[in-house]
Amino acid sequence: MSLLEIKNLHASVAGKEILKGVNLTLEPGEVHAIMGPNGTGKSTLSNVIAGREGYEVTKGGVLLDGKDILAMEPDERARAGIFLAFQYPVEIPGVTTSAFLKTALNAKRRAEGKSEIDAMEFMKLVKKKTEALGMPYDMIKRALNVGFSGGEKKRAEVLQMTMLEPRVAILDETDSGLDIDALRVVSEGVNSLRAPDRAFLVITHYQRLLDYIVPDHVHVLANGRIAASGGKELALELEAEGYAKYLNAAA
Amino acid sequence: MKPSLLTDHPFGADYAKRLGVPAWNGALPGPKVEEWRFTPLRALTKVSFTPATGVGFDTLPRNIPMIAGAARLVLVNGAYRKTLSTVDLGKGVEVTHGKVAAKEGSSLIALNAAYAPESLVIHVTAKVKKLIHIISIGASGAEPAALHPRITVTAESGAEITLVESHVGLPGQTYFSNPVTSITVGAGATVRRYVSVDEDSAAFHLATSLVKVAGGGTFEAFHLGLGGALVRQEIRVALTGENANVRLNGAYALDGTSHHDFTTLMDHAFPNCTSSQVFKGVVDGESHGVYQGRIHVARDAQKTDARQVHKALFLARGPAIDCKPELEIYADDVQCAHGAATGEIDENQLFYLRSRGIDDATARGLLIEGFLADAMAEIHHEGMRELFTADVTRWLKARRT
Ligand SMILES: Nc1ncnc2c1ncn2[C@@H]1O[C@H](COP(=O)(O)OP(=O)(O)OP(=O)(O)O)[C@@H](O)[C@H]1O
Ligand SMILES: [Mg+2]
Repeated sequence: MSLLEIKNLHASVAGKEILKGVNLTLEPGEVHAIMGPNGTGKSTLSNVIAGREGYEVTKGGVLLDGKDILAMEPDERARAGIFLAFQYPVEIPGVTTSAFLKTALNAKRRAEGKSEIDAMEFMKLVKKKTEALGMPYDMIKRALNVGFSGGEKKRAEVLQMTMLEPRVAILDETDSGLDIDALRVVSEGVNSLRAPDRAFLVITHYQRLLDYIVPDHVHVLANGRIAASGGKELALELEAEGYAKYLNAAA
Repeated sequence: MKPSLLTDHPFGADYAKRLGVPAWNGALPGPKVEEWRFTPLRALTKVSFTPATGVGFDTLPRNIPMIAGAARLVLVNGAYRKTLSTVDLGKGVEVTHGKVAAKEGSSLIALNAAYAPESLVIHVTAKVKKLIHIISIGASGAEPAALHPRITVTAESGAEITLVESHVGLPGQTYFSNPVTSITVGAGATVRRYVSVDEDSAAFHLATSLVKVAGGGTFEAFHLGLGGALVRQEIRVALTGENANVRLNGAYALDGTSHHDFTTLMDHAFPNCTSSQVFKGVVDGESHGVYQGRIHVARDAQKTDARQVHKALFLARGPAIDCKPELEIYADDVQCAHGAATGEIDENQLFYLRSRGIDDATARGLLIEGFLADAMAEIHHEGMRELFTADVTRWLKARRT
């Protein structure tokens, strides 16, 4: 069975149709990349999958393990294995990164029928994960994302992902704002999670990321639809030629 | 004579007769008194109170909060109960109790002076490490009781003490607690005071605190407001010497029809003093939060740095908040600032947390605690910060069930 299936998805924001029939299937173990012009609906697609309010799905569905998740609450979807690394991570004053990570991790463990993680084990896990991402451990004592630099926020998103080990990870422009070294470290973080039972949807504007996270499939999202699909060479082609061809064709 | 609450207030001749004391001939503040505009006492005057007498329990009821390692001083219905208290407090602090002289100042103080059985007198002469935990318990008998706790604290110059006050009651009872606390912080002395008002949901609590801070003295206070039908914590602080430093903070979490009022007066009479206030509250149900903060800076109080901020978070559509900052500044070389804001839970933040698998109620709880966090951070005593934070967490849990 496919891991994630997006079927003829139509969605509107503020009465305006943004997604106009998106079809996309992620098999277990695959990495898919989505590229496309600004404002074309890439973040809209990720938000609809994650369950953010304010998006009206007018047609179609999103299936995880063959089951439609669109009626599920965002936290249920997350516990079922959906993870979205946000294009713009949200600052949460007063809530420490560590308290947040622990709460999220325990929510997942409880859903899996496991006991809560003990303090020592949690510390060890965070230590290991932060080290792997080149983040100072002390960062988790700070309020979540508050005052984090652009790149630090993106790293923090990937830290959450590596801790929560989702089944479907959507990375919405996780590479933007990262310096050259961070890009490599973060990509390694993502690659270390690649597994036969997990799939990734990587949204990016830059072919460069795909040198590190090598996708199985590349799609162009234009005018609310998948306008083209191909292998990783499609990204190179886009880099050279831009989106004009797809915009004209779809218009 | 203009109508006042005196005509039907519950502390008239009958009340006095039963106590065997002269009747209190004052009046409770009526709705026309500006300072009480947001906190009407109508509900209080409708209850017929009885003078609180010693209620017989020889062990502490189970709902009473305890602090491990602290010295405990217990007041039941305002009267000091030696058998429930820690008698030996160690070096540097002495506790006595006795009748206090009547003190004018407000009708509530006069009422307290008329009926307070005696004052708990805490005299501090050195740096004291041990926490002093004062527990005031309201315990009505068959009829609603009125209690008038009186606490007097003096910290001599250079002395240091940390006081905790828990105001609680036996569950399911209507009572009226009218505590008056006088604190004198000597030159270079430090007094930390952490007050928790978690009265029973039918109880009234109108507290007055009178604080004097001498030159070079430090007063750090935190006022937590959780339970009670009608609660007011009025704190009047006078900075009476140069280089005095006052940090007066608070947090509240209200639900049902609970009403909590924080009224502060920061009176700067001398130069080079600082005062800061951070009050934050969350309001649910149909509760009502009030913050009135007055800062008075006299002409001579140059180089004053006085700040206050009040912020409230609405958890529902029903609650009300009244916030009234008053800055009266007569000196020209000062820094004074006040800020006020109200808001609701941020949907973006909520979605972010939920997108990580955290259920709605838990996510809201995190955001509420996060909202209060910077107020709680003003509690410099780590153990007390943890205790008060745990109290708020308990409130959140109770709200959820
Ligand atoms: N809340 C909203 N109200 C009105 N319009 C919205 C709202 N959210 C998104 N849109 C519009 O929907 C369209 C798609 O936005 P989306 O963020 O999905 O684009 P994107 O493909 O992720 O772009 P980028 O590459 O710049 O991140 C845009 O035109 C955007 O302005
Ligand atoms: Mg986007």
